[in-house]
Amino acid sequence: MNPHDWYVENRAGFVARSLEPREERTFRDHLVRCDECSREVARLERDLGWLPMGVLPVAPAPGFSRRAAAHLLDRTRRWRRAVPLAAAAVLALAAGGLALAEHRQGRDLLAVLEQQETRLDALEDTLSVLRQANTVLQTQISMNGHSQGGMLIFQDASSHRWVVIVHGLPPAPAGSKYQFWFITETGMVRSVEVDATMKRPAFMTLPMPGVPAPVTGAALTMEPAVSRSDEPKGPMLAHVVF
Amino acid sequence: MARDEQALVELIEQASPWLLGLTTSMLTDQDEAEEVVLEVFATAWDRVGALGDEHDALLPWLLRIARNRAIDRLRRRRRWRLKLARAEAYGELPPDRVRATEVDEAAQPGWHVHQSVHGALERLPVEQREVVQLAYFQGLTHSEIARRLGIPMGTVKTRLRLALDKLRVSLAGIKDWIG
Repeated sequence: MNPHDWYVENRAGFVARSLEPREERTFRDHLVRCDECSREVARLERDLGWLPMGVLPVAPAPGFSRRAAAHLLDRTRRWRRAVPLAAAAVLALAAGGLALAEHRQGRDLLAVLEQQETRLDALEDTLSVLRQANTVLQTQISMNGHSQGGMLIFQDASSHRWVVIVHGLPPAPAGSKYQFWFITETGMVRSVEVDATMKRPAFMTLPMPGVPAPVTGAALTMEPAVSRSDEPKGPMLAHVVF
Repeated sequence: MARDEQALVELIEQASPWLLGLTTSMLTDQDEAEEVVLEVFATAWDRVGALGDEHDALLPWLLRIARNRAIDRLRRRRRWRLKLARAEAYGELPPDRVRATEVDEAAQPGWHVHQSVHGALERLPVEQREVVQLAYFQGLTHSEIARRLGIPMGTVKTRLRLALDKLRVSLAGIKDWIG
């Protein structure tokens, strides 16, 4: 599981606001740096915009609307009167800001610590899949007729996730990539690209694909690097069927 | 939105029942729910210029602010601890459909949207709907839900993710009806 997978996996939790407060802060910091997550979160929030209307309406107390409108209009009038005072306050805050700068270094260290704690949480989460796995599958990878490393799949039926480990595979040749696929009753479903290196195994935590057909196996193929096809075009390197 | 008092009152009249429904359900306290709704309108009033994007519908934006404010309150005041303790003492969480004051449902603007959303929630498998209720409408975190339901945290996350994926498909196509 690479560090970004944790953010992908927790986008729904962030939008629902069900992450722990510390995780939520870490996620929020990440959104500032990651256009992909920022875009996906905004899309999910927009798509779920009407969900709060699943709750029954409640009639406001009599006069609530007038009271609320008066409150808003009064705030606007007060705000207009307060502009000169606000300008003075901004100058005072700027002076105070210089003193606060010294505290920033400590805050940065705390942010790093929080990120590390989040990473630890993500690793513990992955470990839970390994520990709770109902099924463990192992298969050899074959390249050009020769055995070349292997693929291990830990299947956790309770959380509907797999941990997939690919080891002993050399980096994909130029212009190619390794592609992991789910095999379902209705066909292959493209999953993640496998970033292989001989130095260490590729480690991936994968949710089940969002298709109604049950997953019956998995495959690893080599595909053209630019391919976005929903069907494998390249040679099959390994596959397992339950 | 024109900064015209009558238009403002009309907007508040149409949006308030839904905002109050959400905040009352989450906070289980109608006075506090009204406070939050006033805050929501104040925030929206201050930030109304930010609603220039054609993809942002007005009421979902207000509802999102309301839900975030309600969750902030639940967490800041640690009332959720009390709520959990109370829920556990009674063996049930507070109902997700609080009816503080009767409304004339048929005449309520937006009622058709409620029916669509309610239908989409009803179509979810029970275990996914349960997680959505606890996370989205009760403001509980993954670990709190896992403890509450006695299931692994990974299962909570998966159920929530699957449920929200289904809901985003079911809710596509609902148009803004307010304004």
